[in-house]
Amino acid sequence: MNSLIKLELTRALRNRRFLFFSVIYPSVIFLLVSNQTGTVDGTGLSVAKYVMVSMASFGALTAVLMGNSERIAKEREGGWVRQLRLTPLPGRGYVLAKTASAAVVSLPSIVMVFLVAAAVKDVRLETWQWFALTGAIWAGSLVFAALGVAIGYLASGDAVRPITMIVYFGLSILGGLWMPSSTFPTWLQDIAKWLPTHAYAALGRAIEQSQAPHTQDIAILVAFFLLFAGGAAWLYRKDTLKA
Amino acid sequence: MVRMTTTATAAGTPVVGFDQVSKVYGNVRAVDGLTLALHPGETVALLGPNGAGKSTTLDLLLGLRNPDGGTVQVFGTTPRQAIVAGRVGAMLQSGGLMDEVTVAELVKLACDLHPRPYQVRDVLARAGIAQIADRKVNKLSGGQSQRVRFALATAGDSDLIVLDEPTTGMDVSARQAFWATMREQADQGRTVLFATHYLEEADAIADRVLVLHRGRLLADGTAAEIKAKAGARRVAFDLEGPIDEAPLRALPFLTSIDISGQTVRIQSTDADATVHALYGLGVYPRNLEVAGLGLEQAFVAITEAEEAKQS
Repeated sequence: MNSLIKLELTRALRNRRFLFFSVIYPSVIFLLVSNQTGTVDGTGLSVAKYVMVSMASFGALTAVLMGNSERIAKEREGGWVRQLRLTPLPGRGYVLAKTASAAVVSLPSIVMVFLVAAAVKDVRLETWQWFALTGAIWAGSLVFAALGVAIGYLASGDAVRPITMIVYFGLSILGGLWMPSSTFPTWLQDIAKWLPTHAYAALGRAIEQSQAPHTQDIAILVAFFLLFAGGAAWLYRKDTLKA
Repeated sequence: MVRMTTTATAAGTPVVGFDQVSKVYGNVRAVDGLTLALHPGETVALLGPNGAGKSTTLDLLLGLRNPDGGTVQVFGTTPRQAIVAGRVGAMLQSGGLMDEVTVAELVKLACDLHPRPYQVRDVLARAGIAQIADRKVNKLSGGQSQRVRFALATAGDSDLIVLDEPTTGMDVSARQAFWATMREQADQGRTVLFATHYLEEADAIADRVLVLHRGRLLADGTAAEIKAKAGARRVAFDLEGPIDEAPLRALPFLTSIDISGQTVRIQSTDADATVHALYGLGVYPRNLEVAGLGLEQAFVAITEAEEAKQS
């Protein structure tokens, strides 16, 4: 399976458009929207710190969701998934290789936002906070990697891009990755706080505030992970029986 | 895996064994009570028109689908176990490839995944794609893609090679080169099974031909036997004067007759005996021609006979 991971990775690193959107783009947005001074209401965090976590989460989300869902749907339709079933590679190997290679791309997108924030916007945190942030955002992205796999097995090759886009922008915006959800009307805030992206960014912010992550956020992320991974596993099995 | 110890049983363990296998899609019986065995070293053609159930049969053999009834065994185990053991190399008709990687990278992946791999360089050379090794997989022509699929199927030392319409999209010379390569594989003692609707391929390459029709095995034998089964030689001659049809129709081994003007065309399962009897009638046939039917016509005849029986 290592050789498949290596090849998936080679391919991802070769795709400049994908690399731009997952590694460079979040840092660019960070620079554009972190210009205000002062703090974000109710958090005690500076705008730059607040947006840094949002964009690091957004970058990781992009890397694990965008590439996988579309590739899986297309490769399922094109027959590559069938072809792989004619090799000794275990059935799960394909999905694991996709997830592993996405995780490798998502790490630099997180670190890039941190580097830009520290260098350009003078964001300063304790050493343990940098590591904890990186680890939490990286590990949390597994939730969305599972979602990407589920969409890849759910959607047809034609429908996968619009579906991914709707889910991607919906989760990013409603989850408060682009602007603080405290700026939303109350009814929207009530919806937003149950979204996995909201809990995901809240995880990082808790670390910035030197707090332990909220139990509710962790519970939401775990619940969504089980939902997405279970859905992906079920759809995968269904697809296998269909050949 | 269980190895048979007694010689008699070992000789009888088929490479592939189908026992009363059925597969139903909705109300279509794609494969209908199929029983067959392939033996070590055979080169077998699976022949049939579109919709005959060839691809479904191969899917069942490769474990891509599960049968609704009956059992499929490959080397005495399940298809999946045989694949995991590296004993089966397969090339699918709809075998998609991984985009945006080079031919060499993809072949290397197949070699890495095989338990008994060959050298990437050798696999590329044998499939005739060494000169396009650095090309991106999604920039290949149809025939080149087929060769890449063939390389994936032969990346390691497998005992059975399964090919679903392998020469689709190849021109004539590519097709000839492909079958020359395939013969090498067979000469090394491998069992080869290929589905085709290029009937001349089955005729030219296979030791054994399985004719599939509506999911059932219609004929099983050498290409020569299948031709014979369908009345496979054509006798044509001209007669002078008025033609007396009745004795001609009574000729032995005759399966069909067509008289137009002074020309008589006969199909016979034993042309020698038919011609001998023809002279016995006291007529003087001119421009006598005896020719073999291609497998294509033999195949059409078998299929028509089967359809006539059913209606």
